[in-house]
Amino acid sequence: MWEKPKLAASDLQIEESPQPRTLRILTVITVLGFAGSLYLGLAAAGTDILQGEIQRIFYIHMPSFFGAFTAFGLTLIGGLIYLARRREHWDRIALAGVEVGLAFSLINLLTGSIWARPIWNTWWTWDPRLTSAAIMCLTYAAYLMLRAGIDDLDRRRAFMSVYGILAFVTVLITLFIIRIVPETIHPVIVGASPQNAQGGFEATSGVVMALFPSLLLWLIFMPLTLIWHRIRLEKRIEALNRLKTLALSE
Amino acid sequence: MKITITLATFVFALLSVGAVNAQGGEANGVAYFRSRAFNVPILAGWEDQSTETVAQFHLAEAGATIRTAVVPQDDILAAAGADLSAAFGVDFGAPIYQDKVNLADGTWTALIYEANARISASVMARLAGSETVVISFVESDPVGRILMLAATRSDESAADASGEIATAIDRLLDPPATLERQESLALPSGEWLLLSSERYTAMGMVFGNDSYLAIAELAGEPLPMLADAFNRTLLGFFITPDNSPYLALGLAATFIILGTLVGSLFWRERALRKDLALLQALAGADG
Amino acid sequence: MKTPFFTGAAAIIKKDLRAEFRARELVSVMGLFALLSVLVFSFALELDREAREEAVSGVLWVTLIFASMLGLNRGMALECDQGGLDAMLAAPVSRSAIYLGKLLGNFIFTAIVGMVMLPLMTVLYGKNLLDAWVIGTTVIGVFGFATIGTLLATMTVQTRAREALLPIAMLPIVLPFLLTAVRATTGLLNGALDGEWRGSLGMLAGITVIYFVICLLLYRYVVEE
Repeated sequence: MWEKPKLAASDLQIEESPQPRTLRILTVITVLGFAGSLYLGLAAAGTDILQGEIQRIFYIHMPSFFGAFTAFGLTLIGGLIYLARRREHWDRIALAGVEVGLAFSLINLLTGSIWARPIWNTWWTWDPRLTSAAIMCLTYAAYLMLRAGIDDLDRRRAFMSVYGILAFVTVLITLFIIRIVPETIHPVIVGASPQNAQGGFEATSGVVMALFPSLLLWLIFMPLTLIWHRIRLEKRIEALNRLKTLALSE
Repeated sequence: MKITITLATFVFALLSVGAVNAQGGEANGVAYFRSRAFNVPILAGWEDQSTETVAQFHLAEAGATIRTAVVPQDDILAAAGADLSAAFGVDFGAPIYQDKVNLADGTWTALIYEANARISASVMARLAGSETVVISFVESDPVGRILMLAATRSDESAADASGEIATAIDRLLDPPATLERQESLALPSGEWLLLSSERYTAMGMVFGNDSYLAIAELAGEPLPMLADAFNRTLLGFFITPDNSPYLALGLAATFIILGTLVGSLFWRERALRKDLALLQALAGADG
Repeated sequence: MKTPFFTGAAAIIKKDLRAEFRARELVSVMGLFALLSVLVFSFALELDREAREEAVSGVLWVTLIFASMLGLNRGMALECDQGGLDAMLAAPVSRSAIYLGKLLGNFIFTAIVGMVMLPLMTVLYGKNLLDAWVIGTTVIGVFGFATIGTLLATMTVQTRAREALLPIAMLPIVLPFLLTAVRATTGLLNGALDGEWRGSLGMLAGITVIYFVICLLLYRYVVEE
């Protein structure tokens, strides 16, 4: 028996909230800032006398790790607050943090590997810091896979908050492993380098001048802008999924 | 909102300050001699005698020549001797000093030759496949000999290269000398320790697990300049093969990943709109 | 009224042990897996005696971690299918006590497997693993695996893919344990100076405690109905 659907096309709407002005401004700042930081690193800063042109990759390599740190940090905070308050919004922040952080840490890993080829004469070594950075990427990749495997929405949010909290330990390990396992060859640019470090260079005023704005950009503006956009998207995807269920149940 | 704008102003202020100041901090615009096999910095102020495959720079007032060449021989001693003889028209004979030292890119051999009282050569040589790289510092008509070498650090925890300087002086100078005056010197190639006495000047720079040394008979006035030029060539050689393609590769990787992230946002947004339209169309058709 | 914490945890362990004693479903599977793994590694590395000796601690830990995951997957699946988990949740026991009970159950089973492996590997690999410190490291490491594993297995057993997801979720997070445990064991076996392996062992113990506390606090969020 054919039942007349109760849903009309006009009922199937996703609330279109216009982009907030702050987000639009933030986006413009981020794009311009990114262009500016590229200019600083690629053109304004001098060529490193020992490493040559490839040293410029450092102006992306190190800031991108800190960008990932911010993003994964938001995942941690989002997870903690979600578990305490149970507001979906915090879970969206956590998810967006993982996606953005994963992209940033991949940039970090790839640029490091590309830098290592001419400087260490190898694409990859199983150095403690490199290993832990790779583990960090894998952990957050696992986050996305695990998330896709859980159907129940509330359960998914709670589980992924827990996983996001656990995963942050790998970020801390990557950050501090140089102090824990001293025989790394990864150089430390700011602070004392481990004895075996290879390929370090001096943080002269020129390096710092070119690095600091990039660091600030990657640490705050790039993750925040991208995460914000991702959150808005996630909100709409969730709304669409609700509509789909609604339409199917009719 | 206010915070965003304040922070943004701060970032752009920093960007512009950075753009102005980054220029000054570095050895900006170091020009490189580039060839198939190697790259070395071009020494400003020196006469450029390079050919297509050999980098050679000459400074007439010091009688000094710094030469980098690749010799198609896999015997380091023979290759170094052949390169020097061919370039300077003198038979340099057997080296008076020979030592192996591990630098950043492999095992190098430090050699010192004395052809006659007028001409001496300090050579750093390394095998590269079946060829030999020879970087030499040759001094003709010297007032006093000038020698350059690299040595493995005897005590890695020592703060400076004074230990290696003392060893080298013992091995190379006759009679051995003690150098009592001491100062430190910042040159483009690094921080040097300079020791001197009435008769000798010696310099040493610590880099990694090795010390780079320069010794001059008589109070060698131009020694810092010569040592800096030679070691810039040496360091520039092994740390700066032409690596700008890698920079391009790194940038490409960065853009591809960021592009994928941003692209996926757009793509998912589009898919969402499509789904929504489909859903509405279905509902419309039914209704 | 809630059952006191330790009474609850003890009851769960007792239940798991009794079930295992009757059916021998976990330790037998885990033990067989460990035996096969040690043999396979032994054959694979046979060619080079030196490499085999170097690889001892790696083989030990890789085998232990997979045995642990096998036990977790199987134990949790049994628990879930037989409705044990729901029963426990309905019982007036705190979630942390459930965690502790399940954790200790997995720990005991994996530790038994480990204690069988040590003499076996001593024979097969020609390195003496029957040293008090090696045994201690094994116990701590296995406990570390179980802290993470129990939490994650409880999560993955409630997902669609179940068994397939546990290794993906667990291996990256457990790597810090693996790294420090392998370092400590290698140092011990190669007769390194005290300071070298003691540091790794201390770190292993440290992260085990940290993860134990974190997982204990988080467990209640993964067992909600």
